[in-house]
Amino acid sequence: MSEELDLKMKKYLRGGAANLEVLQDKKLKGQLAHRENLYGKSAKAAAKFEKWLMPSEGGYLEAEGPVEKTWRFKQEDIGQAVDISSARNQYDVVLPELGPYTMDFSSSGQYMAVAGRKGHLAIVDMKNFEVRKEFQVRETVRDVVFLDHQLLFAAAQKKYTYIYSPEGIEIHCLKDHGTVLRLQYLKTHFILASVNKFGHLHYQDVSTGASKSYRTGLGRTDVMRVNTVNGVVALGHSGGTVTMWNPNSSAPLVKMLCHHGPVSALAFHPNGHLMATAGKEKRIKLWDLRKYEALQTLPGHANTLDFSQKGLLARGTCSFAEILSGAEHYSRYMNHSMVKGYQIKNLLFRPYEDVLGIGHSMGWSSILVPGSGEPNFDSWVANPFETRKQRREKEVHLLLDKLPPETIMLDPSKIGTVKPARNKEKPTKKEREAEMEAAIEDVKGSITLKNKTKGRNKPSKRAKKKQEIITKVKRPFLEQEMREPQLSRKKQKVCVEDELPKSLQRFTRKKAAT
Amino acid sequence: MAETKRKARDEPKHMAKKSKKQQKKHSDSKTPAKKDKKSDARKRTGPRLPNSLRKVLDHLNRNGPSNSEDEEEIESDEGELYAEDLYEYQEGVPQEESKKNRRFDPVENFEYELPQNFKDENVLSDDDDEDDVDEDNGGSKTADANGDEIEEEDGGRHVRMLQGITGMPSEAFERKKKKNNVVISEVYPESEYNPSREILDGDGRISMEDLLGPLQDKPGFGKLRKRMDQMKKSEVIEAPLPQAIREKVERGTAYKLSKTDITKWEPIVKKNREAPTIYFDENTDLGFSTVGAIASEFEPRTEFEKQMASLVYDDNVMEAHRKDGSRLLELNKVSVEDEKERQNRIAKMRSLLFCHEMKAKHIKKIKSKTYHRLLKKNRLKTSAMEIEMDPEAAKEQALKQEFKRAEERMTLKHKNTSKWATRILRRGLQVQDEGTRAAISEQLHQHALLSRKMNSMKDNSSSSGSDDSSDDDDDVHKNPAVSDQGRASKLLEKAKEKTLKILEVEDEVPKSGLLSLPFMERGLKKRKEAADEEAKLALQEYESSLKQMEDSSGAENPKASTSSGRRVFGAAVKTHAPESRNMVKSDTFYANSDSEDDMEAKENTADVGNNKSNDSQKDVHPDSVLPHENTEIVQDSVFKSFDDIVRDPGPKTTYEVAIFASDRWRKMESRDKMDAKSKRSVKSVGTEHNQDSEEPMKEVGDHSDSESEGQMVDGVLALGPKPSYELPSQAELIRQAFAGDDVEEDFENAKQEVLNEENPEPEKPVLLPGWGQWTHVQKKKGLPSWMLKDHENAQRKREEALKKRKDARLKHVIISEKLDVKAQKLLTKTLPYPFTSKEVFEQSIRMPIGPEFNPATTVGALNRPEVVKKPGVIIRPIEFKEVNPHENTEGHKSSGQKQKMKKSKGNGTKMTKKTKMAGGKTMKVK
Repeated sequence: MSEELDLKMKKYLRGGAANLEVLQDKKLKGQLAHRENLYGKSAKAAAKFEKWLMPSEGGYLEAEGPVEKTWRFKQEDIGQAVDISSARNQYDVVLPELGPYTMDFSSSGQYMAVAGRKGHLAIVDMKNFEVRKEFQVRETVRDVVFLDHQLLFAAAQKKYTYIYSPEGIEIHCLKDHGTVLRLQYLKTHFILASVNKFGHLHYQDVSTGASKSYRTGLGRTDVMRVNTVNGVVALGHSGGTVTMWNPNSSAPLVKMLCHHGPVSALAFHPNGHLMATAGKEKRIKLWDLRKYEALQTLPGHANTLDFSQKGLLARGTCSFAEILSGAEHYSRYMNHSMVKGYQIKNLLFRPYEDVLGIGHSMGWSSILVPGSGEPNFDSWVANPFETRKQRREKEVHLLLDKLPPETIMLDPSKIGTVKPARNKEKPTKKEREAEMEAAIEDVKGSITLKNKTKGRNKPSKRAKKKQEIITKVKRPFLEQEMREPQLSRKKQKVCVEDELPKSLQRFTRKKAAT
Repeated sequence: MAETKRKARDEPKHMAKKSKKQQKKHSDSKTPAKKDKKSDARKRTGPRLPNSLRKVLDHLNRNGPSNSEDEEEIESDEGELYAEDLYEYQEGVPQEESKKNRRFDPVENFEYELPQNFKDENVLSDDDDEDDVDEDNGGSKTADANGDEIEEEDGGRHVRMLQGITGMPSEAFERKKKKNNVVISEVYPESEYNPSREILDGDGRISMEDLLGPLQDKPGFGKLRKRMDQMKKSEVIEAPLPQAIREKVERGTAYKLSKTDITKWEPIVKKNREAPTIYFDENTDLGFSTVGAIASEFEPRTEFEKQMASLVYDDNVMEAHRKDGSRLLELNKVSVEDEKERQNRIAKMRSLLFCHEMKAKHIKKIKSKTYHRLLKKNRLKTSAMEIEMDPEAAKEQALKQEFKRAEERMTLKHKNTSKWATRILRRGLQVQDEGTRAAISEQLHQHALLSRKMNSMKDNSSSSGSDDSSDDDDDVHKNPAVSDQGRASKLLEKAKEKTLKILEVEDEVPKSGLLSLPFMERGLKKRKEAADEEAKLALQEYESSLKQMEDSSGAENPKASTSSGRRVFGAAVKTHAPESRNMVKSDTFYANSDSEDDMEAKENTADVGNNKSNDSQKDVHPDSVLPHENTEIVQDSVFKSFDDIVRDPGPKTTYEVAIFASDRWRKMESRDKMDAKSKRSVKSVGTEHNQDSEEPMKEVGDHSDSESEGQMVDGVLALGPKPSYELPSQAELIRQAFAGDDVEEDFENAKQEVLNEENPEPEKPVLLPGWGQWTHVQKKKGLPSWMLKDHENAQRKREEALKKRKDARLKHVIISEKLDVKAQKLLTKTLPYPFTSKEVFEQSIRMPIGPEFNPATTVGALNRPEVVKKPGVIIRPIEFKEVNPHENTEGHKSSGQKQKMKKSKGNGTKMTKKTKMAGGKTMKVK
């Protein structure tokens, strides 16, 4: 019991205290020790409360004996075993005319937006399976994404991207995104990211409207996913590379060669450290994003990949969906075959439910995947039973807690830490002198003068020669030094005016001419 | 201190003995240095001798060296002895001896007798004094009886004292001590002038006891004796220490005392310092805090406040206040000084004014024209400057100018209306000499200058100004009621007349000067001819325009006439020859205006034409489009069949096609929406027909792609869910399939590019033939070694830099090393103050402390401020309380003042006394 508690505590301690013995300052040491003590208490309390706050545990499939395999279980078997409310989640919606469907869940899993390729857009309330709104845009719709913000949703249509209200009213037309193939939404940053058919990555802040566009230069792609932990957007390219982007730099943060063939799908684990990629060369790879190494290579195609909240990985090809599970090593967990001829377009786990949504060419369906969703929801983060009032309240809170786009970086835990020293910083005068001295010593040691003919081998001449060599070594250092002070003086001049607040700047002495 | 005192007392004895000893032994070893030291020591410790005595002693000492060694010794010793005597006389003996008569007047005597710092004496030598006194008494009484023992002890002390003073080892003084033991016999016979040793020592002297003896049986003797005893106890007052040393000692003691006093605060202060939070919520009773309440409690404390209070609450004042406030005014008298000052000030001002006046008068009287001219120039300059600088002045100036102009226009003073001018004009300008002509022209010029319309600085807009001026003009020419039309015709007529006149009148060309030269004449003639021609042309035009006007009543543009009218007036007024050209200009202007009108008309027509042409173009456009449409519409039927063909493969292809519809086709779409069915087919076919770019090609490619995908899919479908990768042939197949695109190499190249961008590869050294060395040498030796070395160094540096990269060991990854400038503001620039280690700092900020991240039970503790205080609570200076220093401070909610007093039995009870620190520890208050 105590061990368990310790384990939980460790999670809440977030890495534990540093070694305080390094500190010389007694006062600081005392203060930090006191803080650490408080942190410990807090972590302990939190670990204890976990029992009450996270009462339910996730489900799972268990095979009896070595012969029985979890992936042999059929949906019908599972449906019979579970309660009615869960069994309701097994269904197929057959809409054969309006093309392959894609879908997106709101962050609480309360609503689902579905988009048929041929212009069918709908919002479905997942609690009572009611269609809240359904309309036809009479255009190709390539992707749909929830904005989590007044229940708005964006649809990438034939030419432009549009943002619709939950009532189906067009609110915005985002023309500068171009012909968008894929959309992603960064919830904490309020940024809508899109990639168009020319391979341009476009970021747009949906709260302020500010936008930024970057050329990937790697061709057309419709493989795009956002890492929810750090907000980095990853794109899969036809060259087998995966690039990761943030809105602050025009070059990718990371570019990695993942496959030999084109990358066909991509997904991020909710903990942000694990990435799954699928290549057309029939490989699925799992990558550790801390080391940028492939952890595991699985055989198989995947048109679409998705990680569940609990870390299950779903892949879909043709009419076949497979779910993999495992802590370190992913292995087959469940299979689901659909009617032959159905083409799976999109797989998406529903948050806070053990449900996998499948969008395919003949509509969409939903299957049960035990142990996929987070069993305990945090109503501060996402509340599946949210009322309208709560939602309104939350929207304000979300806006207040909006993160600026600068916070999107590979390792957001670096925020607040001390800026690393730039290695290109100028060496100090002392260092430079030391360097010069070292160079001189180096040369002095290695001076070897040739023995010259009689008249030319005078000691005075030899000394002169030596001196010359030394001055030659010295020169670049001295020249640099000559160059430096002027620069610094210039800088100072600029600085004086810069340092003053604007209101006082007019009192700075101008040049003597005026 | 005690020792030094004793030394002062003992010294005489030693001296006497020493001298005797020396005399007896004739010891030569004694060095003057030692003597000096001793004397130094004495000087330092003993009281100051009067200067006169000192001189005598010095004299004695100086005499010494001239004598023989022995004598010197003796004499010097004697000198010292004298000095000691003197010393004794001054300090040791005096009190009883000299003040004998007055000592029964105890109080006065006591007070009088005490040196300034008797207190010091008491404090410092409490026990020593007593001992000394005892000893002294004993010594004086039983000097001989006790003999050697005391002597020895005394000697020991003395040596120690010497040692302490001089800092020399005790061996240096050893000999003297030994000498002390030797019995000394007197050299000189005993007499009045040569006092014996006993007398000198005080044995032979009259003592108190001697004097008191006869009084023994008298009444009041007991009392007297008691007092005597009392006196005795404190009778010998030691020589005070030099001030510097005394102060030093004082400070030392004070420091010790204060140290012990301060250290008792240590645990309290330490506890407060270590406490994470200090509470000041003890005395929450705030009481009244109004101004009145505070003021009523005020008590005058300082001298100043008391004085003020006495003045404020003076009875007279209070009474006056109560009775009549006007009485207070009586106090409000003006002092003489103030009045005087005021008068002085006024007088000064008056005198200054007078001076100024006188100066102005003087300047006015100056008749020098040059002076005034200069003055005027100066003034103008300053005014001009002012105008530039000051808008107000500029306005004034403008007003003045306007006034002048009005005056000029009214009086026409500078026009040729004066007697003089008319006379000259009558006589003919040609007849006049140059000066007169110049004067006339000057006058005219002035007129022109004055009557010229200035750009007014007034607020009224230029348009209104022009209106005014036009009105003025109208006034001048008395044509207010004439309609625009009539006026224009009239103007034209006038202009015609004028031009005719000019044509008729021969230009008066000056016959003298430059213009009389033949070539100038020729030039002038030519010009004139040209002008004449122009004038004729103008005349023609006038006529034609007049006719026109008559024909079409009021077809003219009024605007043109008004706009040009003023200019014409200005020109028409002038009658001089040079103006003729102006006239012509105006004419041309007229012509221009006309032509402009024409032009406008033309433009209009042109516009219309343009419009038409535009329209026609537009028409053409649609035309160019329309046929297309038509053709398409015509073709529609043809395409339909096509469409059917396209449709055949299935719906998949058709929606793919829709992407590539261009704008124009979109338009058409909207039109086509009416006929719903054929739309998509048209679109698709249209796009295919369009063929303006590679899109169709692409599309085709897409098609093929999708198809191939479909095929692949089919293949997989055929394989089904079964894992088939085990088959080597399959893997081989895949490998072969992707062997063509060298993805890895591409990636490697890309990475190399990125690396080169950040750390460019150093240039390869190039040999320039003939540079730096003779060519044949170059050929033989190749590249110079330094070049090679440089290159090598650069390369090494680059490699090192590359090794430092995060992705140096990852072949398949490029991690951007670019600095994210925007994210820099999210980092801490430098390590904050108390931290010295980066790791510790970063670990210390790892935990969120907000309520979202912590249980409610700990949020309070995590976020408690350093000082908890209610607003308005007065923080009193820290009070002393017993604190157990080893107590754990944590969990102590009440720290500092809230702590209850505890009495620890172990410590002294004194500590429980409450004390208040004056300054108090200043507390931070948030």
